[in-house]
Amino acid sequence: MSLPHLRTLDSPGRRRFLAGLGGLGLAIGLGLGPASVGANLSPERLRRSMQAQYGASGLASLEAWFALLERLRPAGLETRLREVNDFFNRRIRWLDDIDIWGQEDYWATPLETLGRGQGDCEDYSIAKYITLKELGVPGDELRMIYVKARIGRSGITQAHMVLGYYETPASDPLVLDNLQPSITRGSLRDDLDPLFSFNSSGLWAGGSTQSRADPVARLSRWRRAIDRMQEQGFI
Amino acid sequence: MSLIKQLWLTIGILLLLAFGGSLFIGVSTSRAYIEQEVSIKNADNANALALTMSQMPKDPVTLELLIAAQFDTGHYRRIVLRDPAGEIIEQRRAGEAIDDVPAWFVDLVRFEVPPGQAVVQDGWRQFGTLTLESQHSFAYRSLWRSSLELVGWFALAGAISLLLAWWIVRTIRRPLSNVVEQALHIGDRRFTTIPAPRTRELREVVMAMNQLSAAVRDMLGEESQKLDLLRRRLQHDNVTGVLKREAFLSQLQIHLESQDSRASGTLALVRLARLAEVNERLGHRDTDALLNELATGLDQFGKVLGGGVVGRLNGSDFGLLLPDAHDLEQLRHELGKRLAALREHRQVSIGLPAALVDYAQGNRVNELLASLDGALSTAETRGNQSLVIAQGSQRRSLFNSHDEWRSALRGAMAKGIYLAHYPVLNEKGELLHFESPSRLRLNSEWQPAGVFMPWISRLELDSQLDLAVIDEAVRDMTQRGKPLGINLSAASIQDARFVIELQARLKARPDVAERLWLEIPESMAIHDLASFRSLCRVLQPLGCKLGLEHVGAEFTRIADLQDLGLAYLKIDGSLVKGIDQSAEQQTILRGMATLCHSLGILAIGEGTENLAEARMLFELGLDGATGPGIRQHDKPTQ
Repeated sequence: MSLPHLRTLDSPGRRRFLAGLGGLGLAIGLGLGPASVGANLSPERLRRSMQAQYGASGLASLEAWFALLERLRPAGLETRLREVNDFFNRRIRWLDDIDIWGQEDYWATPLETLGRGQGDCEDYSIAKYITLKELGVPGDELRMIYVKARIGRSGITQAHMVLGYYETPASDPLVLDNLQPSITRGSLRDDLDPLFSFNSSGLWAGGSTQSRADPVARLSRWRRAIDRMQEQGFI
Repeated sequence: MSLIKQLWLTIGILLLLAFGGSLFIGVSTSRAYIEQEVSIKNADNANALALTMSQMPKDPVTLELLIAAQFDTGHYRRIVLRDPAGEIIEQRRAGEAIDDVPAWFVDLVRFEVPPGQAVVQDGWRQFGTLTLESQHSFAYRSLWRSSLELVGWFALAGAISLLLAWWIVRTIRRPLSNVVEQALHIGDRRFTTIPAPRTRELREVVMAMNQLSAAVRDMLGEESQKLDLLRRRLQHDNVTGVLKREAFLSQLQIHLESQDSRASGTLALVRLARLAEVNERLGHRDTDALLNELATGLDQFGKVLGGGVVGRLNGSDFGLLLPDAHDLEQLRHELGKRLAALREHRQVSIGLPAALVDYAQGNRVNELLASLDGALSTAETRGNQSLVIAQGSQRRSLFNSHDEWRSALRGAMAKGIYLAHYPVLNEKGELLHFESPSRLRLNSEWQPAGVFMPWISRLELDSQLDLAVIDEAVRDMTQRGKPLGINLSAASIQDARFVIELQARLKARPDVAERLWLEIPESMAIHDLASFRSLCRVLQPLGCKLGLEHVGAEFTRIADLQDLGLAYLKIDGSLVKGIDQSAEQQTILRGMATLCHSLGILAIGEGTENLAEARMLFELGLDGATGPGIRQHDKPTQ
């Protein structure tokens, strides 16, 4: 597990070409509003994607996820957080990206995580983030947090990612972690050292990144993951 | 609309379309690209700065320093740090720096770049939100400059395209106007040919029209040859090919009665002596060949001198009419040489005695022939090759020396020329024009051309006289408003200066030019076709009518002249004389008139003796007639 690297764009020529394409798309599609990031789930599409990629076992996990969503819709916030945290902590086996995806750092979508039944720390966080957003928790209150984690009493530290829930921006967040199954306040987690946080709210703040076909989105790991989620039918 | 305007318009519209399209696509693509780049930069820089701030102590000085350092060393418009409640903790901002780009352009493209946003973390707590906007005024400038370059490039392309179009149209237009001119010529029944242009489509048209012209010319040529054959059968001796006695005498008569330089000259009579004896010794066929050779020799002699006419008066006698030839001694010498050449290398000795006499206007044919006969008898008695100059009718010369003639002619021309008026009428009796031979007042009397023309040409005053005549004609026409026909001499049309003067005079008076009929004798035109052609080319555009007079012997050549745009032909009196009596002559004239009409040329009969002849001419389809038969005598006034 490692921190995501911001990769630079391949080459100026390619960049210009992509920008040109994007510009064309923009010129044609000017005036299209940004896609809303709310509850925009498309179960049919998700089922099709899952069936195509992971077959019956994947589909079973997806159905369990749908059932979870159904169950938690009427539930309170605390229940939702706990249930969602437990759902993924139980169901997903922790593995390093390099073992799952054959590459150093791969940000999987919830569908991929569920389909495989295994995931890296950011895969847990992304899956929980998307699920909670799907349940109507405002995106602003959820933040993915890069943390430095001390494993056990050995003093070995590791790069890690958790999902934080903020009642208000200034408050002490509730931490949804896969290392420690129960949800606790951040300040109580002596083993975690927060470094930086992000969520998807800044990404759609402006007007220029609304297009799903925006090629620039692919160049950022986080946005690529969001892009794939949109394709698969999450957002 | 002209072709060039249409082409220019098309090019202009195409260029504008291309230009507008390129500009729109170029600007909008660049704009989108720039917006995207700047927004990525905003987001990345905001994240990077927030990341740094998250790791640093959150005291105001550190925060301010971090923001200031980022802002001062980078290219930013605004960096704001707000606490979770939205209160500003720290901010830096700068104005837009767009100096050299017009405001309207900025308003037109106006980038909309979302600011980058990132959250600064303080432990588990969110410390604040960082908002960052990059400076992008440079983008306006580069966009403006690239637009200007595009405009410049299109202006250049436009200029080059327009030039190219102009050049193409010019290269097309020249052959095109040639084609149009040819088509107009064909409309005027002048079957000209023009060189084929390089443009394929035009070349096809030109070649088709040239073919048409050639076909028509061939047809006309055949037709005129047929007519010529008829005429020859009627007028020419079938053994020697020269004129028969009647035709020759009628030519002589016409010359004697004419009002121009033909009216005086030399008449010669050549006899093949002892014809019966020669015939007996050589046989019929060789005798005919000998006669033929003699006739041909005389004909060539006449042609060389210009306007010569040869006729066979009887079995052994040949008449040779040399108008405008006055030096009898010289002629005797030259004719003698030619006859001597004919006598050489013969199996039998032949005698070719000859007699010469000068003639002038008013002489009688019988008297001339009688004096020639007498002289010839004398020559025969003198020997085989003697030439005798017969005593012409007693005639006093007006002046004795060249110098006297010169000063007298110059004086007369200076005093003024009188133009006679002999009408040329059409079938309805309407005036086509007045034939106007010139008269000069010499020795207190108005003298006809026959008197002074020999001296005019001898003293080389032709073009001077012709210009004076033209001036008088211009004055006359201005005064009376009637069209006039003027004879030009052969020497004048060969004189380039005369042609230029004439052109200048007619250009100055276009109203007069279109009522002026200019004519030269057929034999002169054929003799010097090049001069006549260039005269036609110069005068045609001025609107005056050009024609030939005394047309007869060379009628076959008319097909060659049709492209000159001749307006009229005056058919020689020898073909007109006795027209009401002769069916063959009627056939010939009817054919000539038809041929002329098919070329858009007026056919006018010369020398009608009486009303019957005139009526017959009109019946045959001629357009006009002149001569004593319809002439309303117009005596010179004192």
